[in-house]
Amino acid sequence: MSQPSPIAAARRNSELGLVVMAASITAVAYVLASLGKNATMPATLVPFLIALLGMLIAAHIAVRRLARGADSTLLPLAIILHGLGYVMIARLSERRAALQTTWSLIAIVAFVLTLLIVQRPPDLARYKWTFLAVGAGLLMLPLVPGIGTSVGGARIWVSIGPINFQPGEFAKIALALFFASYLADNRELIAAGTRRVGFIRIPELRYLLPVTLAWAFAVMVMVAEKDLGSALLFFTLFTVMMWVATERAVFLVIGVVIFSVAAYVAWRMFEVVQTRVDVWLDPWSQYEGKGYQPAQAMFAFANGGTGGTGLGLGNPNKIPAASTDYVYAAIGEEMGLIGAAGIIIAFLLLLGAGLRVAMRADRPFEKLLAVGLTTIISMQAFIIIGGVLRLVPLTGITLPFVSYGGSSLLANYVLLALLLRISDSGARRRGEVPDDLTIGERLEARRLQRAERKGVTV
Amino acid sequence: MNRQIRKLAGGLLVLYLALFVTLNVVQVAKKDALDAHPQNNRQTIRDFNRMRGPIVTADGVVIARSVPTETGAPYKYQRTYPDSLLFSHLTGYYTFSFGSTQLEKTQSDVLMGDTTPQKVNSLLGGADNTGSVQLTVRADLQRVAAEALGEREGSVVVMDPATGAVLAMVSFPTYDANAVADPDTKYAENVLDFLNSYPGKPLLANAYRENYMPGSAFKVITTGIALENGVTSLDRSWPSEREWVPPQTNDPIQNYGGSSCGGSMAEVFYRSCNIPFAQLATELGPQRMTDGVSAWGLGERLPIDLPGAAASSFCGNVTPCDAAFFNDQLPLLAIGGFGQGNDLMVPLHMCMVASTVANGGRMMVPHVVDATLAHNGSLLSRTAPAVWKTPISPTTAGTLNDLMVGVVNNGTGKAMQLANGIQAAAKTGTAQLNFVEGEPQRSHAWIIGFAPAEAPRYAVAVILKGTTDEISAGTGGRLAGPIAKTVLDYLFANEN
Repeated sequence: MSQPSPIAAARRNSELGLVVMAASITAVAYVLASLGKNATMPATLVPFLIALLGMLIAAHIAVRRLARGADSTLLPLAIILHGLGYVMIARLSERRAALQTTWSLIAIVAFVLTLLIVQRPPDLARYKWTFLAVGAGLLMLPLVPGIGTSVGGARIWVSIGPINFQPGEFAKIALALFFASYLADNRELIAAGTRRVGFIRIPELRYLLPVTLAWAFAVMVMVAEKDLGSALLFFTLFTVMMWVATERAVFLVIGVVIFSVAAYVAWRMFEVVQTRVDVWLDPWSQYEGKGYQPAQAMFAFANGGTGGTGLGLGNPNKIPAASTDYVYAAIGEEMGLIGAAGIIIAFLLLLGAGLRVAMRADRPFEKLLAVGLTTIISMQAFIIIGGVLRLVPLTGITLPFVSYGGSSLLANYVLLALLLRISDSGARRRGEVPDDLTIGERLEARRLQRAERKGVTV
Repeated sequence: MNRQIRKLAGGLLVLYLALFVTLNVVQVAKKDALDAHPQNNRQTIRDFNRMRGPIVTADGVVIARSVPTETGAPYKYQRTYPDSLLFSHLTGYYTFSFGSTQLEKTQSDVLMGDTTPQKVNSLLGGADNTGSVQLTVRADLQRVAAEALGEREGSVVVMDPATGAVLAMVSFPTYDANAVADPDTKYAENVLDFLNSYPGKPLLANAYRENYMPGSAFKVITTGIALENGVTSLDRSWPSEREWVPPQTNDPIQNYGGSSCGGSMAEVFYRSCNIPFAQLATELGPQRMTDGVSAWGLGERLPIDLPGAAASSFCGNVTPCDAAFFNDQLPLLAIGGFGQGNDLMVPLHMCMVASTVANGGRMMVPHVVDATLAHNGSLLSRTAPAVWKTPISPTTAGTLNDLMVGVVNNGTGKAMQLANGIQAAAKTGTAQLNFVEGEPQRSHAWIIGFAPAEAPRYAVAVILKGTTDEISAGTGGRLAGPIAKTVLDYLFANEN
């Protein structure tokens, strides 16, 4: 078996401590919400505790076994966000709580499976064109007649039989994988630039073309689906990854310029964008219509004030989509500034941990993938929290780990598993933990030994 | 690439700081403005999830209380109003979607437990800090008065002349506050629309929120001003006349029904001749007359502890109501002297006029709230009697008392002769409304009075609005008098 490692043991033990804290906070919040709402202990407390503990133990043991050198804060941060989000969803709707429980279980299974299947990050780099194809296919799926459905004006859902999901949530990860892999291979060629126009060096088009086309295609599809939040997220993801990969700030400048032009064109061309901007600037005059939701969110935040109304004691049900896009306003009302700021801090710590993983990774692919995945989570949280707070115009996307929604939860736990995998890989490469064989490699080694004994040459 | 990653971390940190700042702006800096936003009803929702104390009459009848709703209701407590047709003009309503009115509005802090002493008490461990409001109004008397009034538009006000405590105040038409507070908002909205469009304005208590022409009942005020100014005395007498032409006109003033009327001060008062009082007003002149009515509180909103009280007026809707208004309108001043023309009196104010005579010339501040109590029964506040106006001296009050006794014993107010030989004092009024072409002549029937005359304990004012032929054909003495007698007889029969 694996060799003993004090650093790995220390990291996993501190992770366990933090997971227990996150679980305790979640359990207490769950009880408080029930007491606040119905003045009784939750009827489902025992099954809830069993499910919560079961999931956390499974996730923690999976990390202990499969990525023991990984960062110790990523999993607990995801769990506290997931836990508080679940408490809020359960407080808002019992039906949704039941569904979210199922999705939570599936998400944890996906988390463990991802750690199990992806044992070395370079394995992923080999499939970049597959990821591109999968990502593009997933993105286009909602546009297929018959299975794609529109909800709230955005055509981002796919219904096959009883299963509904948002393929865009998974496309993000697939495309981040493609970008990371492609840019890791070609970043120097793109950065070098052979031709000069004025003071700007233009990279060879044939190196730039695939990634630019992939990105442009993704953004176009999302605009066609009117999924503006995801389009913005993708745009940021691509710009950031290009910049980090090439180390040339000009890509950042180009990104901002293109974004500004695109935003202006979108505002001129699409009525939905104009409405969003109008409602952003002044929700009050359209209170009976589109302004109702942002106005209710503002009232909810104000009602919460510094300390919050207390779980189960506010009226977050008045906010339309309180458990999905607007879950942050529901948290702001019942947990107050303290709770809402806590969510911001949790995301800040999560993105800090994610970028630390990127810094400590020594291979470009791992670095870029960690940057991409962290950018997805942190920008997605920024876009939706900023939208709910009316810092920026609202574009409807989920708050990672917190919002109700199976696809989102599942995708984010897969993303988290990938980050942990890169983190563990970085720790191995730095020699902090022994570079043991992975389970897959051990099985392979055993197979080879057996074959050797039988005198079979391989 | 690490340099870029560090910069990326810095950039994201800035974005998250912006989120944190915005969060503070919304939840802390703008909190009060958002809480008070007109479209924000979260405060209402919070209030509807809290217990609210009862409103209780002087004789211990609960007329507004909160009851827990069934599970699944949008809020935890529903306000209910037992016998609301009798009390809705006092309680008002407390609704989820249409705000609150009357005592439910003005006493809300006490009922919710939001006054400072209540909050302190709840901090010290009191579980329930709701308060109750104790009224001066008696439920039994309220019922007697409402039954005597019946389904005739008008109102009955009974008060304690010495303290200003309102003992009964009923108005018809009235409404059921339960319908307006119905949890079915759509239904409640329809009810409100109906009540708002109904001709008799059931939502506005005509006892204190409307004013009406007082007719001869106003002669108490004119006589009071004339006595105070030495323009008349009990020794004065008038010749019997059919007509008198005031200055600045050729149109003569007539007595009620065109009769010939005259005699001593006492006689013209109890027979309710018009000409002597037109002459008194003319002799007093615009300055003394307008000063005089101001001393009686005309032109000011009645200082009752209920919102939306009306003001009486000597000049109709004209403001300012001063001597200048009458200088070239002396005929208007003359007919104002006997309660016609531009005179408009709030029924509650007419009860206060009777009380002033009964109380030796001091007009007390009227009130319906006797005390507010904390949940444990300890006193939060008690209404102390206060003088509002002193329009006449005790001597003048004594003279007016005698004149009003004459009305009951010899004149238009014989209907006010009480059971068991208790002496009442009164003044009747039959206000002939301005003639409208194509419609029959309309008149309000009034009576004001008090008893016992020698040591008054109760004052009463009754008006029946001249909205029907039956009332318009009658007089204050015949129509309003029996109502006042019923109420006073009940009061004396049920004293212990």
